Amino acid sequence: MPEIYNANPTIFATSKTSKLALAASKSLWPDDSNDTLDNENDEEEPIDADEIFEHIRSINDPEHPLTLEQLAVVSAKQIYMNGNNVLVEFTPTVPHCGQSSLIGLSIRVRLMRTLPQRFKVDIRVKPGSHTDGPSLNKQLNDKERVAAALENPALLGVVEECLK
Amino acid sequence: MAASAYTLRQIADLPGHEDRAWNVAWNPTRPLLASCSADKTVRLYHYTAEGIFENVSSVSTGHAKTVRSVAWAPSGKTFATGSFDSNIAVWEQEAPFEDGDGGMDVDEGQEPRGEWECASLLEGHETECKCVAYSSTGTFLASCSRDKTVWIWEVKPDAEFECTSVLMTHSQDVKCVAWHPTEEILASGSYDEKIYLYVEDPMDDWYEFTTLTGHEGTVWSLAFSPCGNYLASSSDDLTIRLWQRVDKSRWELNTTLKGHDRSIYSVSWTKGADGSLGWLASAGGDGKINVWELRRNTDERKTSLEAALIASVGDAHGVCDVNSVSWCPREGFGNLLASVGDDAILRVWKIERLS
Repeated sequence: MPEIYNANPTIFATSKTSKLALAASKSLWPDDSNDTLDNENDEEEPIDADEIFEHIRSINDPEHPLTLEQLAVVSAKQIYMNGNNVLVEFTPTVPHCGQSSLIGLSIRVRLMRTLPQRFKVDIRVKPGSHTDGPSLNKQLNDKERVAAALENPALLGVVEECLK
Repeated sequence: MAASAYTLRQIADLPGHEDRAWNVAWNPTRPLLASCSADKTVRLYHYTAEGIFENVSSVSTGHAKTVRSVAWAPSGKTFATGSFDSNIAVWEQEAPFEDGDGGMDVDEGQEPRGEWECASLLEGHETECKCVAYSSTGTFLASCSRDKTVWIWEVKPDAEFECTSVLMTHSQDVKCVAWHPTEEILASGSYDEKIYLYVEDPMDDWYEFTTLTGHEGTVWSLAFSPCGNYLASSSDDLTIRLWQRVDKSRWELNTTLKGHDRSIYSVSWTKGADGSLGWLASAGGDGKINVWELRRNTDERKTSLEAALIASVGDAHGVCDVNSVSWCPREGFGNLLASVGDDAILRVWKIERLS
């Protein structure tokens, strides 16, 4: 790691109950071959902000052996739902955090892999929480840039580390 | 919303790509339709006057990454692909028979079935190529990239290409390039939210003669009107802007269209009904395909165009984004619109007047 952007982060308590195991048994995982048919059915299972939070809370921070939840980078309160539109806001630990685009990309990839296709996901840094907020937001929501980034093996490798 | 006078009827549903389909292009002279995808292939479909589409080829491009863009030369004999691997490839069809000579000269309905082969590989961009486009005469091929540049390649005989210009005007990724339908004017749109128009200085290099500003988001797609007096641009800011040529080298914003809820990834403009300025199709992340009929305002005091939404299809690719729409440029097939989406499917729609 060339530079540590926040050498001494505050660590927050995490919620005890994990619904992840429960969620995994439902048809959320595209790899689960039995669920392919379910997704094509018209019946849409309701998914709320808490459930989306379950998918991203365990993502690892790129520079600390801690999760995004432990660093309060993500929280259920910062997930906004409107029908199939999901807005995930995250709060970098420091306003000059150079890892923010990687964190945002990891959140996007996790949700691409776990949410049914009908969800349109927007990812933003919490307003005022980052010195480069607007440009980060633009990058994270450009599907072409995201697609190209994921075809870059080095970058994909770093994302996979965060998603381990 | 204006009352729909037309309807878009789906006439073909063509699965086959194994990953997100990014772009679709009609051959201008032959009954062939091409689509490209993140699966690194180009799929070619032959179609009949009755609207029967048949897959005739799946070209494994050899590109190492997503094929983002596909464009036919005006001759219809070659097509170019632009890839995230930063290269551009130019494809020509082999003669259908091993001993055949002049295999391209076949009658309508007797499509040559020879393999498509890479005739040239154009290297130069440093990062992902986003779009390729041939000029109306076929003299030039333009390409653009995340490396912020626009390249103009001169098309020489025997599949030779010579880079005549590298334009470094934009400050961010260049997302799209489009040529004027009759003159050698090139337009480019970018992540930097700007559009530039370029011409060649006969004594010197190509240069940008005007900048179109106003979009408040990435410019994803550009399309000139068939008459050449207007340019449509679509953006992340959820608007389509129509720019009018008010003088030889002066273009100004004429009208802003709203009708999408998410990024508008593609616009395509065709001749449309008689007496109109044509039909503009638009599509994007909201899964919707809109068709607008554009007319000069009959009120002489108003210079703005009249835009009527004449047809609209929601969930055109199910829950998925629509990445590209394209009107068929061939005489007699102008009512056909092709679309591709994140669902990896190519669809063909026919616009029909409601009785």
